[in-house]
Amino acid sequence: MRGLIAKTLREAWVSLVLFALSLGAVEMLLAYILPMFVGDQFNQWLELKFIRNFVEVMLGTEVGETIGPHMIASIAWAHGVVLAIVWAQAITFCTRIPAGEVDRGTIDVLLGLPVSRKKLYVCESLVWLLSGVVTVVVGLVGNIIGGRGGMDEMKMTSGQSVIVVTNLYCLYLAVGGMSWLVSSLSDRRGRAVSVVLAIVLASFFLNFISQLWSPAEGLAFLGVLNYYRPLMILRDSGWPVSDMIILVGVGGISWLIGGIVFIRRDIRTV
Amino acid sequence: MSLISVTNMTKRYGRRVGVVGLNFSVPEGAMFGFLGPNGSGKTTTIRVLEGLLKPSEGVASVFGLDCWRDSHRIKSEAGYMPGDLRLYPWLTCKIALKIFGQVRGRDLMQPGMELAKEFDLDPDVRVRNMSRGMRQKAGLILALVHRPKLLIMDEPTASLDPLMQKKLYTHLRTLMRAGHTVFFSSHTLSEVEQLCDSVAILREGRLVADESLENLRARASRNATILWHKSARLDGVAVPEFIDVYERHGREWHASLTGSAVELIRWSAAQPIEDISIGRPDLARLFEQYYQ
Repeated sequence: MRGLIAKTLREAWVSLVLFALSLGAVEMLLAYILPMFVGDQFNQWLELKFIRNFVEVMLGTEVGETIGPHMIASIAWAHGVVLAIVWAQAITFCTRIPAGEVDRGTIDVLLGLPVSRKKLYVCESLVWLLSGVVTVVVGLVGNIIGGRGGMDEMKMTSGQSVIVVTNLYCLYLAVGGMSWLVSSLSDRRGRAVSVVLAIVLASFFLNFISQLWSPAEGLAFLGVLNYYRPLMILRDSGWPVSDMIILVGVGGISWLIGGIVFIRRDIRTV
Repeated sequence: MSLISVTNMTKRYGRRVGVVGLNFSVPEGAMFGFLGPNGSGKTTTIRVLEGLLKPSEGVASVFGLDCWRDSHRIKSEAGYMPGDLRLYPWLTCKIALKIFGQVRGRDLMQPGMELAKEFDLDPDVRVRNMSRGMRQKAGLILALVHRPKLLIMDEPTASLDPLMQKKLYTHLRTLMRAGHTVFFSSHTLSEVEQLCDSVAILREGRLVADESLENLRARASRNATILWHKSARLDGVAVPEFIDVYERHGREWHASLTGSAVELIRWSAAQPIEDISIGRPDLARLFEQYYQ
């Protein structure tokens, strides 16, 4: 198992460092910039319908007449760039095996070693889980550093931080789990990435549309972003247990099916 | 005792058939050649043996273990060299030996470095900077380094220069003398003739021959060249059944001898023949017949 994990880390450390530092930098920047928007001027902007819609879409919930520090602070965790980084990391990592390995033909050598496919899948998944933890923690550190000089009302308590970051990690698990499944069904990494990307973008747009168009509200439950709402966490300071269970459930079930498919499928590289 | 046993094995890819009803076995300590033209099913068979493909029907086993279910157990005592070898671009031979050693649970660094020296490969060069031949050498080192009881190779000499081919042959012979088994596919006849003691020939996914090289040689025709005497009247020559003349250049005839050399000599003694030469068994011709 040590050898497999060493191999996976050798392959994935560069992307892990890049994604983690990117998230940390973006969080730092957002946490630094966002306090500047607290005040009457931003509330005046909110009177413009399209800006209100945009903020509501980003936060995944309706905002009141005025926007408070919590709402502004939650934007740092719901911003499109933040989501894109987390999704990109999950998709990049989880399409490496088997689609990536089959695509470049290296799986022949890998499976020429005395390792079962199950063991290989589990080893890769352990590194995937660990990578996610590193990324969200670096993101949190960036957020804390960026927000040091800001308003006290905007600073998250340690409890809130843990909940937001855990919810983000659950989102990472959901997207990653789906990526494992699609990857297990594919021989081409590009195709697998495209399919998962299409799924998460569809989820994003579903979330977007459901805020603007009431008939789409009934379908909002199908998108993963429906279960990631940092504003609610900052507002209520409670654990969004059902949201987390759904995200972990989607990720876990997809991962499990992906594993079963990988163990049973033919590996054809030529 | 059979180290590899394949029974009624069929592999289909949807509607397309890879191999059909294969039956063969490879005894322990044998050097087994697996021959056939491109697309005949050699790689499919090897991938089934490696546990990468699940047979649609039948059973394939190695060391008495099922190739699909117990693939990882088989591989602890087997080495594999894929036909279209692809290695990680970031890998160097040294890193590979370290990782492979960790996975196999033994130190492979020293034997690996010795092999790298033998095959003249710099162990610190990354795969992305290697030529095709160098990658092939790296693949061979990784397949050989743990001195596997069974070595499965899919066209292993395809990118090697003649010197390296020779080194590989020497290495394989040493392994075989030590009781190891080698199973390799090839479409280079000379390679198979030099190394193997038995062969199986595939055509369009079916096994058309599975026997020792000695038996094949006995069945193969020999080339014979007959030079008639200047005074011979060639129009009236009655050619016996065991000679198949395929080319005539005036007094010089080239023929394929399907009978024994003794028969030819007896017959020629009564003919106005100036010279006669009989070649070695023509395996190439025999294989061509199998391939067509």
